[in-house]
Amino acid sequence: MIHSTILLAAEAAAEGKGGLFDIDATLPIMAIQFLVLVAVLNALFYKPIGKAIDDRDALIRSNQAEAKERLAKAEAMAKQYEQELADTRRQAQKVIADAQAEAQQTAAQQMAAVQQEAQVQREQVQQQLDQQKQEAMQSLEQQVETLSRQILEKLLGAPLAG
Amino acid sequence: METLNALTTLNAFPLAELEVGKQFYWHLGNLEIHGQILLTSWFVIGVLVIASILATRKIQMVPAGTQNLMEYALEFIRDLTKTQIGEKEYRPWVPFIGTLFLFIFISNWSGALIPWKLIRIPEGELAAPTGDINTTIALALLTSLAYFYAGFKKKGLGYFGNYVQPVAFMLPFKIIEDFTKPLSLSFRLFGNILADELVVAVLVLLVPLFIPLPVMALGLFTSAIQALIFATLAASYIGEAMEDHGEGHEEH
Repeated sequence: MIHSTILLAAEAAAEGKGGLFDIDATLPIMAIQFLVLVAVLNALFYKPIGKAIDDRDALIRSNQAEAKERLAKAEAMAKQYEQELADTRRQAQKVIADAQAEAQQTAAQQMAAVQQEAQVQREQVQQQLDQQKQEAMQSLEQQVETLSRQILEKLLGAPLAG
Repeated sequence: METLNALTTLNAFPLAELEVGKQFYWHLGNLEIHGQILLTSWFVIGVLVIASILATRKIQMVPAGTQNLMEYALEFIRDLTKTQIGEKEYRPWVPFIGTLFLFIFISNWSGALIPWKLIRIPEGELAAPTGDINTTIALALLTSLAYFYAGFKKKGLGYFGNYVQPVAFMLPFKIIEDFTKPLSLSFRLFGNILADELVVAVLVLLVPLFIPLPVMALGLFTSAIQALIFATLAASYIGEAMEDHGEGHEEH
């Protein structure tokens, strides 16, 4: 069977017509129709489908870029808010600390003033007291002299010459 | 005698007949044309054109059906071309490379899948267009022309500089390459497809049932691979012709 096939092929080749390596006008015709096919498919297939793919790519890319931008914006906003929040918190703490410090200072100041006043008053009182004591001593001394003079006069029975 | 009789009955079975090198001649003036090849090639062209029309009839943002399939095909072709020719220059070559791939692929698969044999023609038999040396030589020569065109368009006469790259003594080899490229392209495709068809035919002749199936499956695989190889090589030749060697050592 295969034998006869080979024979057939050989026969055909020997005839100069047919056979496997029979190159004839089919070649240029095939080339031309292939080029026409390239042109036709370019118009019917590559251009429109390519355009569809590119358009979709562009759309997706722009959407993605937009989304990315929005995300970035949102993130920036979140960051800003966070920062603002932190700032505010810090400020609040500062205000509290300031107020505390001020209060403490005022308290200390007032305390010091009061203490000073008290000191001054105490000193004054002390001074008055000292003065009064001295006065009292003086008057007492005088009285002692007078009394002792009287006692002497009484004892002596005659007034002493002054 | 008994076996011989069996063989003849087998022979009478219409699917199990082997015809090699028989052509169905058409005459155009005094030119001869292989009619069976042109007929199947028209079928292939028709399939491609109809698929394209179906795919682009109503282009949607979200592809469906044929559009999806053809978009997949185009993406595949673009990828192939891009890897061989490079990001910058591949776009104008997509139609040529893509048509090479699609035409060869559909031809090969039509030869493997469609029982052409059932359609009787006066002489010879219908078969894959790529199983004919005329078709493959035509495609290979077009590829050669394409890469020459690409080279000359990109660099003008400086294209001849390619022949002495990287060393001048490569010149004869490069010239021989220009002849071996189309030769190997055409004969590889032709040989593979014809051999596949013959193997299947012979096996069908010997054991008409089931046994040829694995070989047929293998044939489908080979057919696809051959289409891919042809298109990839064509793209790589074109890319090679446009490659920069000179001053601005850019990325290749």
